Amino acid sequence: MYDVRIRLSKRGRIKFVSHLDMFRLMQRAVRRADIPLWYTEGFNPHPYVSYLLALPLGVEGLSEPIDIRLVEEMPAEEVQARLNAVLPEGLRVESVAAPFHKPAEIAFGRYEVFLDKSDISKEELTEALECGELTCEKSGKSGHKKIMKTVNVSEHIRRYAVDDAGEQIKLEVVLPAGSTFNLNPLQLMEAVSARLGRRVYPPLTVRTALLCADESEFR
Amino acid sequence: MDKKLEKILPLVQKPARYTGGELNSVVKDKNAVDIRFAFCFPDSYEIGMSHLGIKILYSLINARQDAWCERVFAPWPDMEAQMRDNGIPLYALESGDPVAAFDIVGFTLQYELCYTNVLNMLDLAGLPVRSKDRKTLFPLVVGGGPCACNPEPMADFFDLFMLGDGEEVTNELLDLYKAHKRKGSSKTEFLRDASKLPGIYVPAFYDVAYQEDGTVGAIVPKEGAPEKIVKRVVRDLDRVFYPDSFVVPFIDVVFDRVTHEIFRGCIRGCRFCQACFLSRPIREKTPETINEQCKALCRNTGYDEISLCSLSSSDYSHIEELLSRLLDWTPDEKVNIALPSLRVDNFSDELLQKLTGVRKSGLTFAPEAGTQRMRDVINKNVTEEELLETARVAFAGGYSAVKLYFMLGLPTETPEDVQGIAALARRVVDEYYAMPDKPKGRGVSVSVSASNFVPKPFTPFQWEPQATREELKEKQTLLLHSCPSKKVNISFHDIDTSFLEGVFARGDRRLSDVIETAWKQGCIFDSWNDHFKFDKWMESFAACGLSPEFYANRRRDYGETLPWDHLDYGVSKGYLERENEKAKRAETTANCKIKCAGCGANKLNGGHCDV
Repeated sequence: MYDVRIRLSKRGRIKFVSHLDMFRLMQRAVRRADIPLWYTEGFNPHPYVSYLLALPLGVEGLSEPIDIRLVEEMPAEEVQARLNAVLPEGLRVESVAAPFHKPAEIAFGRYEVFLDKSDISKEELTEALECGELTCEKSGKSGHKKIMKTVNVSEHIRRYAVDDAGEQIKLEVVLPAGSTFNLNPLQLMEAVSARLGRRVYPPLTVRTALLCADESEFR
Repeated sequence: MDKKLEKILPLVQKPARYTGGELNSVVKDKNAVDIRFAFCFPDSYEIGMSHLGIKILYSLINARQDAWCERVFAPWPDMEAQMRDNGIPLYALESGDPVAAFDIVGFTLQYELCYTNVLNMLDLAGLPVRSKDRKTLFPLVVGGGPCACNPEPMADFFDLFMLGDGEEVTNELLDLYKAHKRKGSSKTEFLRDASKLPGIYVPAFYDVAYQEDGTVGAIVPKEGAPEKIVKRVVRDLDRVFYPDSFVVPFIDVVFDRVTHEIFRGCIRGCRFCQACFLSRPIREKTPETINEQCKALCRNTGYDEISLCSLSSSDYSHIEELLSRLLDWTPDEKVNIALPSLRVDNFSDELLQKLTGVRKSGLTFAPEAGTQRMRDVINKNVTEEELLETARVAFAGGYSAVKLYFMLGLPTETPEDVQGIAALARRVVDEYYAMPDKPKGRGVSVSVSASNFVPKPFTPFQWEPQATREELKEKQTLLLHSCPSKKVNISFHDIDTSFLEGVFARGDRRLSDVIETAWKQGCIFDSWNDHFKFDKWMESFAACGLSPEFYANRRRDYGETLPWDHLDYGVSKGYLERENEKAKRAETTANCKIKCAGCGANKLNGGHCDV
């Protein structure tokens, strides 16, 4: 068996396809791509596809890691070409390689968030990010019960930068990601909206990379 | 993607319903085609994308160089509110262009309770809902599907209907439209020619007069339209167009798999079943064709399940050969085969053997009625012993959950017949416990689903009164009380929706006013319990001075002119009358393989029927 890590970009309107639906979509795509897949054992065998970290609904991604398993070796370029031939508009395999890091090593996500200047000014955004007391509601668990938790967002912002981008403001931000704790930029913007008392929704949000604990790129 | 749209999508549930861009969706250059066709399904995306007819006609139209067919579904109320607030008109998924800019807007009418959604979609598109208020040739609003067999309640909203199989008549209609568009014809000029195409019904060309008692007096054609419109029948299912790819939805829809129709029509002639009589005569596809088409579809979609569909799959003449061919390659490709609509009386051991390699979905059987007398009345030729034998085989094969479908309110039904449903369900439970080596610690579950019988046009029961709402309520209560077993779960259909379905199934043109009034009162998605507003409907009948009971609960004479008498679906009125009389005597009619009952549908296929 050969484990292969695909890096997938998800751009444009397909960003509105949820994580669960992406999962089914990729299972079908690998079936159509005619690559030597390993199927799970059991009563309902299905191709092994592991989406390492969910991308929030409405967020684009440049390099989303997905692991698949093959029963025989196939050159990386060929796997890439066969997959790209069958993927729907907006999805592209950017690279194919053997996995380097373990999935649990994902620690951060790096994002670009584009905001309309008509919705928020640079000063308002910077003030909110600096205030130290941004909070948002996040669903969590207490034992087996589902509860809503209030999270202090400010203390989780690893780093950020605010820049002009024509009619828009570009916010670059690094937020915790991975299997233990996640904070996504839409939740960050909810916290900013709550502080401003009006809804500010970014027309475009892109996850540009996943990072390890030392902020090196996850591969 | 439109900026306004992109802004509202994060605010609605399941936005991937509204984006387009699915695998195998067809995008063409709009300037390179002559006809733009918006195929509208008047219900949610999840329901519409599960429907086989839209897949066939979508691919068929897009196979033409000169036409581009796109899909449109009813936006869910949260999306509709956002669209109206932000000035976004109803748009087609492939191009994102407004529906009002299309040449032809086609609706498929699958069930009566979607009618208000049609009006709402036309309105969201910015089009007048009534045909007479749309003066120009485009967009032309056309309809088809099973409800087109009595489209009278919707007659005022549509420019034309296509009756019967759509594969051939759609192409003929597009050819004619293209010629008229080139000539710059008026809408009336086009409709005059269209009404001469076999299977095309232009309701505006028929004057309907009513008698004092409210029944239809006469239906008189004008503008040279024919007296009878005969439904279309595709003669050779092997040669008729079938798609080699389906649009694969992003989100999970109701039926998300390869669907393949193995034959049309049904040999059984159950007297309540409209689908049987509407789709006659029987025409089968060969196993070779089905197998090849299934292979192509799996390859092009990546689906891992094939569903073989028909009205009664085990009646297909070559079912075992077909399964053998499919099972040659499906296990290697990890593809499952689903075979719904099996009957209890020919669920053979061989078939069961073949299906053992196939995923076990729950077992569902439809005895339809609880006593033999009642089953004889409806010509459901299944005996209790056959049902119990099938249950035995299924339990022995490891199934421990069985679902049984029944109907309440059938003609001549007595309290004993209702109690018989509970008794039958209990005997199925007993079969489980009578097994000598039943699994330890596992109980059995028998689900009884009791729907309400709705008399439909072109069936032997088309003259029968529907049980009143009060009667149905009593029957439901009686059934519930006659079934104390905890192993039997009973569920019912909503009585008010069945009543409304009964009104529109056999309604006439005057109901157009009621539908428009109810829609204006906010009635949409009537088949969804949480959106159904029965009070608004009753107010609308009152406001229009019409009685819903007149349509649903009245017995018709054989001599009465029925609102759909000018439409010809092949089965003769004489045959339906004979069957109605036999029902009254609880006499059965043998299935078509044993003896032809002379329904008359074969005249539409040169006297031929594949039995």
